[in-house]
Amino acid sequence: AAAGRACGCCAAAWLFNPLPMAVSSRGNAEALVALLVLTTLYLVEGGHIGKAAVCYGLAVHMKIYPLTYALPIALHLQSKRGGREGAVGAGCDRKTKFTFVGYLWQLFVKIQNRNTLLFGAVSGSVLASLTVGWFYHLYGWEFLEHAYLYHLSRRDIRHNFSPYFYMLYLTAESKWSFALGLTAFLPQLLLLLIVSVAFYRDLVFCCFLHTAIFVSFNKVCTSQYFVWYLCLLPLVMPSIKMSWRRALLLLVLWFVGQGLWLTFAYFLEFKGYNTFILTWLAGLLFLFINSLIIVQIISHYHQEAQVAKKLKQQ
Amino acid sequence: CVTLDVQAACQDATVTQELLKEGFHRDLLVKVELGAVEEDAGGCAVAIQTHLPPGMYVDPYELASLQQQNLTKVVVIPDVVDVEAPEYLAKDLLVLLYLEPDPQCARCFRAALPVHVRYHRPAEESEEALVVLKSPEVLLCCCANRLSAECWKPAEVEAPCSGQNVGPCQWYSIMHKPAYEELILQVPVGLRQHSSLVCVMTLLATVLCSSLILAAACKYGDFS
Repeated sequence: AAAGRACGCCAAAWLFNPLPMAVSSRGNAEALVALLVLTTLYLVEGGHIGKAAVCYGLAVHMKIYPLTYALPIALHLQSKRGGREGAVGAGCDRKTKFTFVGYLWQLFVKIQNRNTLLFGAVSGSVLASLTVGWFYHLYGWEFLEHAYLYHLSRRDIRHNFSPYFYMLYLTAESKWSFALGLTAFLPQLLLLLIVSVAFYRDLVFCCFLHTAIFVSFNKVCTSQYFVWYLCLLPLVMPSIKMSWRRALLLLVLWFVGQGLWLTFAYFLEFKGYNTFILTWLAGLLFLFINSLIIVQIISHYHQEAQVAKKLKQQ
Repeated sequence: CVTLDVQAACQDATVTQELLKEGFHRDLLVKVELGAVEEDAGGCAVAIQTHLPPGMYVDPYELASLQQQNLTKVVVIPDVVDVEAPEYLAKDLLVLLYLEPDPQCARCFRAALPVHVRYHRPAEESEEALVVLKSPEVLLCCCANRLSAECWKPAEVEAPCSGQNVGPCQWYSIMHKPAYEELILQVPVGLRQHSSLVCVMTLLATVLCSSLILAAACKYGDFS
């Protein structure tokens, strides 16, 4: 009965959440992508690799961001077969570069197993057949341009939640623009890699962290992106042992961060005041608040494996 | 002397434009009052043609939805608009706005067009950039009306001109276009002198935040 109630609570956190409601009614089909992502994760956990791959291919076709889940899914699939055949690496205690690189190499080798290759092949062919076989056939070059190529050459320097927006706007025509754009990728990439390797055993938690980091450190960030990780929050909530007060405080902080940014952006966009500096600072604060929330979620994450590790260390 | 009189008589069509609201999203309100001379213009459709500078744009999807609700009727050339481009990468737009009769006075027509302002280049010192909107041109779409040839001349317009009459329909524009004041719009821009500070602080902030998350992942992550 308690489990049923917990399920209901978690489902309500998504179904009655005003943010996804507002975003979905604006004409974005984020709820559809959320459904496909959740189905993929559910099928991977259940061991139905083929069906999961089909859903995954469909999800990536609809929105490109689930492509980042490829690494956690690949790592998770290799961990499910055969368990821990020989401990890999020595963890973060010995921070020598050589050991960590060796650990990564061993993981890379282990990823290439039957399940992962099957997953990759099926999702790749679903994506390819949808793209080339169907949509390119229907819409031609226009489809490829708007679905994929547009993202490569897109330069949106207008104000948004991202901490990089003002930097990119001011340097848009300077010679540093390309280099700065690339530099902005590095923290995102590094964090996604480390988080994948650290938490792949709990696939849903890993994907949640993945998307939260991806969205917070992205060069463009708007409200609709929040829905991408909010749909996974009900699934990770049971694993996070945090006091109500702390959770409420973090939630309030998140809304305060957004509210502050929205206030300055409102004065800029709808009243014509020059609040660029204030909006940018609010963006930096929002990044800090998001990072704080992610750190709190990581530090209060309790799974059986975590508890076992702590007992082993004691 | 006769020519002058005719010119004076034809200049009775007055055009006023004003920008409502503030910020990056405005409403361009255009009012046209046809002079007493243009009595033959009854039954003609009145429209204005305006060149939007690269600093402004109209959203074709917004206009299409307004058109569905019968609130505005607009033709945009070209009909594909890049709504994200900054001012220095954007092109001029030619907009033809059909006016509705204004109940406030006889021979008065008006319409409102929602316009949006683009991001402009960051400036060295001034915190605002200026967008100049020239006065629009009045066009009449008349079918089998006889308009005074001294006042109106046929015009080539890339928009449909048709009416209920079976007769041929034709666009006309004013022969002697008077000079009206331009509308000047102020738009906030970033300050170039902030560049170094903004770059350094943004990168420091992202490094700090990513270090926090990295530290947490290393401490609580399972690397066994």
